[in-house]
Amino acid sequence: MKKISEIFKKDLVASTELPSSRREFFKKTAVYSVGAVAAANVLSPVSLKADDQAIIGEAPWGTKLGDLVTKNPYGLPSPYEHNNVRRATDLLSSGDFYASVSMTPIHESEGIITPNGLFFTRNHGGTAHVDPNEFRLMIHGKVKREVVLTLEDLKKYPSESRIYFIECPANGSTDWRGPQFNNLQFLKGMMSSAMWTGVMLKTVLDDIGLEKDAVWMLAEGSDNAGNPRTIPVEKALDDAMLVWGQNGEALRAEQGYPLRLLVPGWEGNLNTKWLKRLEFSDKPWHSKEETSKYTMLQKSGKAIQYFWVNEVNSVVTSPCPEKPWTELKVGDMVEIEGLAWSGQGTIKGVDITFDGGNNWVEAKLKGLVLPKSWTRFSYITKWDGKPMLLASRSHDDTGNVQPTIDEETSVVGVESVYHRNAIVTWQINEKGECSNVHIRKHKA
Amino acid sequence: MYILENTKLKASMIGLGLSLSLGLTLAIAADSSKTAVDGGIKYNTKDGKYTSYYVNPVQVKYNNGRAATKKEITAWNIDVMPDGTGLPEFDMKHGEPVLGEDGKPKKAEGSVALGNELYDAQCAMCHGDFGSGGKGYPSLVGGTVGSLKNQLMNPADENPSMDPPQKSIGSYWPYASTLFWYIQDAMPFPHPKSLTNSETYAIVAYLLSVNSITIDGKTLDDEYVLDKEKFKKIVMPNANGFYPDVDTKKDPKQGVKNMTKLMSDPKNFGGGTKCMKNCIKGKVPVLKIANELNDFHPAPNTKRDWFVPENKAAHPMQAAYEEKCASCHGNAAIGAPVVGDKDAWAKVSAKGLENVYKNGIMGINGMPPKGGQDMSDDDFKKIVGYMLESSK
Repeated sequence: MKKISEIFKKDLVASTELPSSRREFFKKTAVYSVGAVAAANVLSPVSLKADDQAIIGEAPWGTKLGDLVTKNPYGLPSPYEHNNVRRATDLLSSGDFYASVSMTPIHESEGIITPNGLFFTRNHGGTAHVDPNEFRLMIHGKVKREVVLTLEDLKKYPSESRIYFIECPANGSTDWRGPQFNNLQFLKGMMSSAMWTGVMLKTVLDDIGLEKDAVWMLAEGSDNAGNPRTIPVEKALDDAMLVWGQNGEALRAEQGYPLRLLVPGWEGNLNTKWLKRLEFSDKPWHSKEETSKYTMLQKSGKAIQYFWVNEVNSVVTSPCPEKPWTELKVGDMVEIEGLAWSGQGTIKGVDITFDGGNNWVEAKLKGLVLPKSWTRFSYITKWDGKPMLLASRSHDDTGNVQPTIDEETSVVGVESVYHRNAIVTWQINEKGECSNVHIRKHKA
Repeated sequence: MYILENTKLKASMIGLGLSLSLGLTLAIAADSSKTAVDGGIKYNTKDGKYTSYYVNPVQVKYNNGRAATKKEITAWNIDVMPDGTGLPEFDMKHGEPVLGEDGKPKKAEGSVALGNELYDAQCAMCHGDFGSGGKGYPSLVGGTVGSLKNQLMNPADENPSMDPPQKSIGSYWPYASTLFWYIQDAMPFPHPKSLTNSETYAIVAYLLSVNSITIDGKTLDDEYVLDKEKFKKIVMPNANGFYPDVDTKKDPKQGVKNMTKLMSDPKNFGGGTKCMKNCIKGKVPVLKIANELNDFHPAPNTKRDWFVPENKAAHPMQAAYEEKCASCHGNAAIGAPVVGDKDAWAKVSAKGLENVYKNGIMGINGMPPKGGQDMSDDDFKKIVGYMLESSK
C-alpha cells in the first residue's frame, strides 16, 4: 500500500515549481490561534488588486498535466484542505486517546452530511478492526428464534437509506457552569450526520419473532469496551436500524465497521458500534454506561436515568469564532447560517437574535428538512459594524423550543453533564471578531 | 370572498369549514403523532412513503439466520442484572465451566485479599492506590451520597458549594452488578476479558471494601470471600438515587411509560419559550470566558495552504509499542516514563541497557512484567529500543 506521505511528497515537487508570486498568494491565509481571536490570526480572504497575477499570470495547474486518474484509487481531499480535520483534547479524555472523543470541524461543515473521514469519533477502548468474515450478530433472550446472523444474512434483508445525525449527549457539556471553549469545533463538534444504509431493525425482529414480554433490548459491541446499553423495544420497532453503509460506502472502522445499531435522534452512546449481540428481556440491564455515566444528576441529589433522546437544538455556524466577520466592510450583505436539529422530531423553524435574546426574528430553513436530521437555516443581513450578541433558537414539530441557559439550568442545575441544549450566543465586536459568551444570570 | 347575509347559512358554512379543517388535521395526524417512546413524534409509513422517503412496503418472511447454540449463547451472554441474573456460579471458559482438580465445575469466588493483590498488579497503575484515582483515569472511591445535592460553581448561585458532587462507586453507582459485569467485560483496560470469574469476584470484593460497603451487615475484611449468593445481598448506598422508576416488575412496560412521560414534558428537563419581543427584562447579562480551555490536538487552524508532510517512515516497532505500551507510556499521568520525554528516558538509559531490559521484563514500580503484555523477550527488547530512540 502506498503511504499518504509518499503521495504528497510527489505533489510537493509540483508545488515547488509554482512561480514565487503564486506561492505568496497561497501563503496569505493565516493561522487561527487559540486565545484571543484577533483579526490577524484568522483565515483572511484573498484581497483583489487590479491586474491580478492570478488572472494575468499563467496558473501551473493550467499549463501542465495534472495527476493521473490512477493516482489515488481511493481519493483524498485537496492538499489545501489539510486543516479541515477532527481534533481532540486531553480534557475530554479518560487518561489517554483510547477512551476519548475527536470532534468534527462543524465550522467547516457544508450542508447536512459529514464526510466519513470527519465524522466525530467517541471510543471507550480504541477503534476496533472487526474482520467482516468473522462477524456474527447474535439475537437471543425473549425471542421466538434465537439466531446467529452473518453480514451476508443481514444484507439479504431489504435495505433502506436515511439521513440522521448522531450526537453525543455530552456535546456542549463543558459549558454547564460557564463558557470555556472559544471555538465551535469543541463547543458543538461531538455530532455528525450521514446517510446510513441498512435494514430496519423491525424487519429483522419481525422475521425472528419477539416474545410478548420482550420490553427491553440490550445492544452490545464486540470491541474491548463492549459498551452495552438498554433500549426499549418500542424504539427498536419504530425507526431503529442495523446499518452497514455510511454515505455510500461501508461504515468506517471508527463508526463500528462492519455493523452498528442506529437509534435515530437518541444519545450517540446508544448507537452501538461493532455490534455483536442483541438480547431481549422484560427487565432493563443497568450497564455501566447507563448508571455511572449517561445519567443526569439534579439539584435534588437524584439523577435522571434512561434519558435517551437528544432535545431540540441549534447553533450559528457562520459566523463563529473560527470564521468571524473580520473581513467584512460596513454595509456588506452577509448570510448568517447555522444548523438546527432535534432527536424528537423535525425542525419547524429557527429564530435569530442580534441582541442576546431580547428580540427575535424568524430565519429561513433551507435544503432538505427531514426528521432527526441536521437542518440548515439562513438569514441574510447587512453588517453595520456595530457589536452584537448573535444567537439562534430552534423549535420542532413536538412544539418544543430550545431553552435559554437560565431556562435550562433553573430546571436541571449544572451537574447534569449530559443533554445540554441551551442557546449558544456569539458576541461580535466592531472588528467582526466572534467569541463564545453566555447570556445567563450571574454575579458580576 | 363574499359576505354572507344569512346568518344561518353562515353558521353552517363555518361548521363545514371546521369539519373540513378537522378532517385535514386528522389526515396529517395519521402520518405522525406525538406518541413516540421518547415523547417525540412517531412518523408512520403511509402510501409508500415514510416522511420524505419512499419505501418498498412489501413485507414477507425471510427466515434468515441459523439457530444459536447453547454454548454460543453461554459464551457471549455474560451480562449481569441488578437482581443477580447472569452472575456466574463457576469459572467459565469458551462457554463451558472450568473444571477443578476434583473434576467438578470450579466455583467462582474470590477474597478481598486476592482482590487487593490483583488490584495492585493490574489496576493501581491507572486507578491509583486504593482506587484513589489521580492519574487521569476515574477515581473508584470518594464522595458521599449527600454531596450529590451540591451544585458546583453555578454562577447564578448565591452560595456556590465548595464540596463538589463526586460520582464514585460508593457514592453514585446504584448496583454492584454493574461493577462485576463491567470489570469482567471491559477491564483491565489494556487487556480486557482476561480475568476469571473468581478474580472478578475478588476485585469487586476489594473495591466494595475500599468503599466501606458492607454486605448483610458484615464488614469486608481481607478474609471475606465473595460469591454469587453473598453478591445478591449487596445494597449500594445510592440505590435509590435515580428516577424515573424503570424497574417495574409487575408491569414491565410501565417502566418505559414512566420514561416516556418524563421526556414528553420539557418542564422536566428545561424547555424554552417562543418569545419574540422584549423577552429579557432589564440588562442583558453577558458572561464571558474566564479561563479558556485551549489544549487541542492538532492545534486549531483554518489556513488553506499546500500540505507539507513530515516525511518520516514509521519505525518497525511503532505499531507494537502503540498496541502494547502506549496506554501507560503515552500518558504522563500514569507516572511511567513518557515516550518522547528526553529527561525521563535519560534517567532510564543511565541504568544501562541490560538493566532496563531486566527491569521491564521482571516488572518495576507500578509496571507488571512486560507491562502485563503477551510477547517474547526479544520483541520486548525491540520495543524498548524504539522507545529509547524516540526519546532522545
